[in-house]
Amino acid sequence: MLIGLNLNVNDTVPETAAKCQEAERLGLDYIWVSDLPSQRYAPVVAAASASATEKITIGLGLISPFLHSPQQIASSLTTLIEAYGERFELCIGPGDRDQLLRVGVNLDSLNGIPQRLLKTKIEIQESLRKRGLECRIWLGAQGPRLLKIAASFDGVLLNYSSPKMIEWALSLGHKAGGLPTNIGVFAPAYVYRSFNPKVYRILEYASATVALGASRTVLEKFSLSESLEPALRKLGSGSLDSSVLELIPRRVIEEFSIMKSQGDLQPYLDGLKRLEVEHVVFAYPQSYSIETMIELAEALDHRTV
Amino acid sequence: MSVGFTTSTSIEMVEWIARNADSLDLYGVWVGEDIGRPQDIFTVTSLILLETKRVNVGIGVVSPFIRNITTLARAAAALEEISPGRFRLGLGVGGLQDLASMGVKVERPVESMRKIVEALREIWKGQGRISGKEIALDHYRPQPSRIDVPIFMGVRGPKLVSLAAEIADGLILSGPRQYVKEMIRLVRERRSTAGLAENDFSFVLWVPTIMLSDDRDLELAKRVVAVVAADTPDSLLEEAGASKEEVEEIRTVMRRGGVKEAAKLVSEKLVYEFCVSGDAERICEYLRSYSSLGVDEVIFGPPYGRDPREAIQRVAKAWGGPDADRTQPKR
Repeated sequence: MLIGLNLNVNDTVPETAAKCQEAERLGLDYIWVSDLPSQRYAPVVAAASASATEKITIGLGLISPFLHSPQQIASSLTTLIEAYGERFELCIGPGDRDQLLRVGVNLDSLNGIPQRLLKTKIEIQESLRKRGLECRIWLGAQGPRLLKIAASFDGVLLNYSSPKMIEWALSLGHKAGGLPTNIGVFAPAYVYRSFNPKVYRILEYASATVALGASRTVLEKFSLSESLEPALRKLGSGSLDSSVLELIPRRVIEEFSIMKSQGDLQPYLDGLKRLEVEHVVFAYPQSYSIETMIELAEALDHRTV
Repeated sequence: MSVGFTTSTSIEMVEWIARNADSLDLYGVWVGEDIGRPQDIFTVTSLILLETKRVNVGIGVVSPFIRNITTLARAAAALEEISPGRFRLGLGVGGLQDLASMGVKVERPVESMRKIVEALREIWKGQGRISGKEIALDHYRPQPSRIDVPIFMGVRGPKLVSLAAEIADGLILSGPRQYVKEMIRLVRERRSTAGLAENDFSFVLWVPTIMLSDDRDLELAKRVVAVVAADTPDSLLEEAGASKEEVEEIRTVMRRGGVKEAAKLVSEKLVYEFCVSGDAERICEYLRSYSSLGVDEVIFGPPYGRDPREAIQRVAKAWGGPDADRTQPKR
């Protein structure tokens, strides 16, 4: 199983590059550099991370083609691969609905999002191929509409942590015509040796953000809609704050995040492996500090620690 | 003196410039965006910043009309963070044909550019929430990071140049000498009227430069000039002392037969009007002569010569001689 860490949330570019260096030293396989309208521009952060490391695979994403054109995404990858070699991968998906709306991109007004994602994937791959370059392209997915097109991608990164949700998603994918070879999970994570309430609080916010933006079908299928209703009402068009967070039941937080003591991690990963999940990305706040990164690596029993 | 290149430049050449920029004692490196070309302007710029320790690095220029303003702000902030105090952001409207091919129509460039520059500075303050219909932001909350990136404008025409005088930290000029002189005069006049200090504003000149060794270099120069002249507004052609008829013929042939055919119509007079050329010493002498007009920084830009690396090395060496009158831009 390949293990990744998600970076580029609150850190400066040099801090992210240093964490990438540490991830490589700890023997992790991937770092994923996320890109949201409120974060640092991912390709620049990826370049700084590549410059500080030698072999770790660097994932760009999730990147929304509704914020960046396929040509812009392809040109970023071209520059990165030509400068640092073929150790970059890409994950595309619609993006965070609320954050995109604040920068003039209304996902609700767009038709045929799955088809447009597929077209983007083809355009990017074609553009790279013209220059003799290769790059694996993942789809960031959650609900059934996107899972239907997952087979056309090189991999799918599922945006939840609960094994029963993952199992459901995979069965949907199979029914819709198959799944890509690579199946991964990308979820807010906190694997700890000594529990830090501050990091846990960040995990709650990260997980709540995913839950509140989750596909309606997913929420209904797992009877989460009702539990989330008070929080969704309170949220309205405002921001996620402590008053909203307090209304979200703990079990909802757990469905969308990986919150484990070091000893509990391996059984969880074994469960995912049985579902044929081959890639797990520990998203923020696992990369909160070098210490929390080491806590993850220790749990994975990497000999380099 | 600085060196410039564009996103059409190969990564090998970009890496060579990055590896040598400090040791060639360049003042800066500028990266221009050729819209639709394979390399990404921000990522390429990061390569230069990551590889160098001392030179200033600028984008000159990028169009804010073909990307979300937050992308521009986030990219500039990330570049500034790589090496604080060395990055400069140049903004331009973009080639009209490039914009049209992307379905982008800029109806009020002066007003739009003003709002974009204001919004960028607001975003970089990293405080509160930002909204604005023209910049398509609705309660956007930027990352809390106080970034201060100097904004240069690479624009043409009195209205946009006057705007640059008022709101930018510098102007990237290109065009005939008389035009450059006139625009510098205009900026100084506007800044004086607005009570803005002259010293807080930099003039950067980016004109095609080519080191001539033989006739084959001249051929290369003619091709570059054919493209530049064809893209120059008729009003500037007069100032350049160029014949409108000659340039119109070049445009026609370029449309029908491409750059190579059009280059055959370029006279040597036109080459000297639109392109700095000669041997290394002559190029330096000519570029230095712009300091008397008020230019703070000159860019040795493509096509350089048939052997770009040798041309850059020789011109940089000639520029750095003991008697060199080296301009010291503000940043």
